[in-house]
Amino acid sequence: MNDTIRACLEHVRKPARYTGGEYNAVYKDKSQVDLRFAFCFPDLYEIGMSHLGSKILYGLLNSMEGVWCERAYAPFLDMEEQMRKRGQPLYALESGDPVGEFDILGFTLQYEMNYTGVLNMLDLAGVPKRAADRKELKPLVIAGGPCVYNAEPMADFFDLITIGEGEEVMPELMNLYRACRDAGESKAEFLKKAAQIGGVYVPSLYEITYKEDGTVAAITPRDGAPAVVRKRVVKDLDKAYYPEKFVVPSTDIVFDRAMIELFRGCRRGCRFCQAGYTYRPIRARQPETLKKQAEALIANTGWDEVSLTSLSSSDYPHLETLCEGLVAKFEPMHVNLALPSMRADSFNLDLAQNIQKVRKSGLTFAPEAGTQRLRDVINKNLQEEDLLEACKLAFAAGYNGVKLYFMMGLPTETDEDLLGISKIVRNVQRTFREYAKNKARGLRINVGISIFVPKAQTPFQWLGQISAEEAARRKEVLMESLNIKGVTYSIHEYKTSFLEAVLARGDRRLSAVLERAWQLGCRLDGWEENFNFDAWMQAFSDTGVDPAFYANRELAPDEVMAWDHISSGVTKCYLYSELEQARKGIATPDCKAGCRNCGALSLTGGKCDV
Amino acid sequence: MFKLRFCFEKNGTSAYISHLDLMKALQRSFVRAGIPVKYSQGFNPHIEMSIVVPLSTGYETRCDLCDLDLVCDDMPENFVEDLNAVMPRGMKVLHAGAADRPVREIAYSAYEIVLPAGDALAMKALFDGPVTLEKRSKRGRRDVNLQDYIKELTFANEGDKTLCRCILAAGNDPLNPMYLTQALKNTGLVEEDATAKYIRTGILDENCEIFWKK
Ligand code: SF4
Repeated sequence: MNDTIRACLEHVRKPARYTGGEYNAVYKDKSQVDLRFAFCFPDLYEIGMSHLGSKILYGLLNSMEGVWCERAYAPFLDMEEQMRKRGQPLYALESGDPVGEFDILGFTLQYEMNYTGVLNMLDLAGVPKRAADRKELKPLVIAGGPCVYNAEPMADFFDLITIGEGEEVMPELMNLYRACRDAGESKAEFLKKAAQIGGVYVPSLYEITYKEDGTVAAITPRDGAPAVVRKRVVKDLDKAYYPEKFVVPSTDIVFDRAMIELFRGCRRGCRFCQAGYTYRPIRARQPETLKKQAEALIANTGWDEVSLTSLSSSDYPHLETLCEGLVAKFEPMHVNLALPSMRADSFNLDLAQNIQKVRKSGLTFAPEAGTQRLRDVINKNLQEEDLLEACKLAFAAGYNGVKLYFMMGLPTETDEDLLGISKIVRNVQRTFREYAKNKARGLRINVGISIFVPKAQTPFQWLGQISAEEAARRKEVLMESLNIKGVTYSIHEYKTSFLEAVLARGDRRLSAVLERAWQLGCRLDGWEENFNFDAWMQAFSDTGVDPAFYANRELAPDEVMAWDHISSGVTKCYLYSELEQARKGIATPDCKAGCRNCGALSLTGGKCDV
Repeated sequence: MFKLRFCFEKNGTSAYISHLDLMKALQRSFVRAGIPVKYSQGFNPHIEMSIVVPLSTGYETRCDLCDLDLVCDDMPENFVEDLNAVMPRGMKVLHAGAADRPVREIAYSAYEIVLPAGDALAMKALFDGPVTLEKRSKRGRRDVNLQDYIKELTFANEGDKTLCRCILAAGNDPLNPMYLTQALKNTGLVEEDATAKYIRTGILDENCEIFWKK
């Protein structure tokens, strides 16, 4: 850490976010390193340090001889101000060296609202934002993460984007980079070769043409780039790299605990959920593997909690065996288990109690919609009876708080569906009155309502988001009906969801908007207090782009989509058939009842672990 | 049970670990090192420990103290080595032993303040008379005379720095050394936006002797 950084730190809140030096942070001897990689997370330290994928890649890259992967996070406004004032460029936490001098800057795209964060970090690093303005091989600016299934709005900024899981493709890429650099090849030559690696998408090798009505006419690859880039997946998770050490933060972060990953993919097929489709096929780790990983992590970190993560943890086929083993091992060590993402219809009270011996406060369920009809439309195969049954068991056992998550603006939604939310809430209250062990403590219900955002590579990718006026009207309906004693609720801001919708189904013409929005001061847009909607609207008007074209428009069935050249393995045809079922109000049974041939298995062969 | 005390350094990046976060960082280090720590009873068991004299975020220390209850009856073998093998970067245990002296006998802290080069004589002279500043504490704000808190104070020019060595009140009503810098800034002896570095060099008893030694 140099004196300038030290001077910056004197004037900022939570300086420990900017120092590095945490336990298990990797330090290497620069003379033994020939490839320096800056893992850049375009959000604050406390968010980025909680993210499992980053930990896996950090460990993986640092396990490679000669590669040093360091971390950089988006600074908060006070730190950014200090850095700009004192001329301190964005630096890597471990060495304190400017990331602009690194070989590769790798960004993870977790959330559309982080896009301006990428631009701001590049700017702070002194690296030209547009790929076309970076002529040399170094620094190479790349991206990965869940947003890549349509990262077209960011296409102009990245040299390449990896689609899917990084465990195999990253080492391949590092090796290719080294080979090309050592052979003195140009950036263009490198990119051409990189495009031949499975799962590597080089945006500059695709030409996009548009029709007069603004829709995409064609996506044309050149220089031998594949017409469709298929995502990379790890076939056998038990054999895949998993770190034995995580960096242990020296300050508060969102999820300050060890994490093991039970499985990837999800058998449920909720039609609004992008991860539910893009993480397929379903691959589980064996309980023995997981137990070993958890033990190593606890021994190497000293954490007092292990979280069992996945998209839907109660769907893990060996959950009970695993939990029994972990509780037996960890209870005497004062290490707790956390089991997020439990579903109400596979809620297991014994398990919940077993792992949460201490606090009995939190139950969280996500019915998503207020009526069975609408839940069938979105394929949230959860019956109200199952929810109430889970509540009954939990209340009888002493729980007295429930969080319920819903969405508004879902396809085909009527006011009756909206009013269904308050009906569920009242039924939960009634269940409490009938079955609670300790009625006197009272029940706290917290209702969180977000606004539906149609996402690329889901059955709802063809549909538009509701308009601002309609969102406001529905909000009124909800607010009136949720004015219930003992119930608190929050309804997500439409403006943020609208922008998310624009970017989620956007194309390359939005790169100019993003750049303009950044110029107008937009950054850390995911933090409500920083979100400046007016600046965004100005950016749209300055660049002559109509946001409603992206957010609210329904796409024609045969329309070329801006992300048609990216494949998650699940076929477009399957997604469309799911949309048609949704329109008919017919739910699709989950994969446990039989494979629906979504296409994802074409990536791995074999069958899904359900 | 064994009541253990150890003396530790906090340098470089680890200086920015705040007091509360330091508790957590140390607890995790104990667990990693397999130290037989004692957990409290009750619903939310925690490791029984305390950091004897809190230190401001960003300050380095060469001599802070931590008290820790162990379930064993004696000082564990290799305590210092085992713990040092798993500490965050910049932190180091210097020595450990029985917590045999009561904490209330602490009276002073010694500090070094590294300032940009200035007029050492004028700086010293400033504190020869009363210096009134508003002091913040848990109990609120009030005007105090810094002299009442200063036991010893020297200024010396060393290279491109001016080094202040001071012994300040600790205990119930301690003085943070940043007030000295503040006073120097208020009188223009140090520039307003200058950066100072603070290092705690001693935790002392009433006689200005090191409070706890091995
Ligand atoms: S539909 Fe078949 S291939 Fe697709 S996730 Fe379900 S089981 Fe796997």
